[in-house]
Formats: sequence, C-alpha cells, structure tokens
Amino acid sequence: MAKGDALGEFEYLVMLAVLRLGANAYGMRVRQEIAARTGRDVTIGAVYATLERLADKGLLTAAMSDPTPERGGRAKRSFSLTGAGMEAANRARQDLANMLEGLQFPLPGSTQ
Amino acid sequence: MKPPMWAQFVLWAVAGENEAEFVAGDLHEEFLLLCADKGRPAGSRWYGRQVLRSAATLLGLRFRSGEAAHLVAAALVAVAMPLLLLDRLWSFVYSHIPLKDGLDRAPGFWVANLVCVCICAAMCGSLAHSFSRAVGVALAAAVGAACALWCSTATAPLVYAGMVILAAPASSMTVFAWRRSR
Repeated sequence: MAKGDALGEFEYLVMLAVLRLGANAYGMRVRQEIAARTGRDVTIGAVYATLERLADKGLLTAAMSDPTPERGGRAKRSFSLTGAGMEAANRARQDLANMLEGLQFPLPGSTQ
Repeated sequence: MKPPMWAQFVLWAVAGENEAEFVAGDLHEEFLLLCADKGRPAGSRWYGRQVLRSAATLLGLRFRSGEAAHLVAAALVAVAMPLLLLDRLWSFVYSHIPLKDGLDRAPGFWVANLVCVCICAAMCGSLAHSFSRAVGVALAAAVGAACALWCSTATAPLVYAGMVILAAPASSMTVFAWRRSR
C-alpha cells in the first residue's frame, strides 16, 4: 500500500460518519455526528477539506441535491463511500484491530 | 433570520467556488437550528466563529483547486503590473521635461492611472463565473493595487490611493454583477 493511501485519523472519523449517516451524509451532519460522538469541536472547514481530499482519493463520491429554504436557498452536496472507500475503511479497521490486539485498556495512569 | 453579513462576506471571499455554496448552506442550516434553540446572538456568534476558524482551511482548499491562479493573475497581471508600468512611464516622461523631474505629478496622470486600473479590474471581474470567485478577484485587485502603490516611485496623494484601492474591486464587482444580470 502506498504511503498516501493510508487513512489519517480524522479521515477515518469522517468516513465512519459518512457511513453512519447514509443518504443524509453532508457537511453539517458529518460535523455534528463527529462532535456528538467524539466531543470534538470540529469546524465545517476541516470537514469539507477532508471530504474533498477523500473524494480526490476516490474513496467518496458526491451527489448534489436541490436548494432548500432552510439552507438559505442553497444546494446540498451529499457524500457516500465508493467501493475503494469501503475497502479502505475495512483495511483501517483491520489495521487498528491488529494493533490493539493483546493490549489492555484503559492504560495504567490514564484518567479514562 | 440571516447570519451576520460580515461573516457571510468573509466566507464568500475565502471559500472556493466549489465549496462556497455548500459550506454557506450547511452553516445557514445549523445557524437556524441554533437560533431556534439558543437565540440569535448565540447563533451569530457561533456562525462567526465557524467562519473565522475555517477561513485558513477553506483558503488552502481554494489554492489547491487551482482557482488561486485566477486570483493571483487578477492581483498581479491585471492591477499591479499596469499601475507599476504606468508609474515607470510617467517617471520617464517627467525625466524628459526640463525642471519637471522630481515634482509632484499632475492630476491628469493620476486620473489616467485610475481609469486604467478600473478597466483592467473590470476585465478581470468579467471573467469570474461565480460570486465567490468575483469576491476573491475583487479582494485580489484591492491587494494588487495596494502593493503597486507601495512599490511606485512617486508619492501618491492619499485621496488617489484610497480611490484606487476602492475603485479596483468596485469596478470588478460591478462588471461581474452586470454580466450576471444579463
């Protein structure tokens, strides 16, 4: 696997959020999902930069929807995982599981 | 209920044309939810913070998409270069007139500069095919004009400097709006 193909931590979080949200995966929902599940105060800019990067890598695909009044008459761009995205998510999950195997959590000395 | 104008302007200025509409829509949607939940001041504060914290990232995205080339061209080629070339030309003209070298320039020269910069900035604005890019071009034109004034050999009157810095983006936006209305 080339160096650029590996998923970064935030990229992985964004991909998991897109998976969880299904058809409703667009910038604001992805941001809210990550904030709700990790407690991180994520900016919309960081989410869009990551979504764009993942789309450039061919891991996500985007679809446009019609403008709606609650968005100030603006269109929405929803994302979904491609086949390559599914493979990358599976591989990242497997890599993480392999690295965690045999370790005891929580680690001694940590508060959580 | 509308988000703060200044934050919307900053957003349209920094976000590329690929992202501006979607980011603005997402922020607007969450802004309305926040306003209903915590009130408009809290919603406005949140909107402003999101825009400011996202500005650098969105600007980086815009540069990576290649859109920056148009903005740099607008700032340097269309505004700064003509101003600097005119400045050198007027210096050359003055150096050939006895007793004129080193004197303040006549108002006609400043007016010629102003007209030239307005035409160049307007041409740049006419090439912008989205509001986001037009705002970017306008800001780039203002920055280009300021840089050219800074680098010019003659000391420009304050009124002229202010007029150039304001007229360049204004003519760019005016032509963009005119083209869009047609």
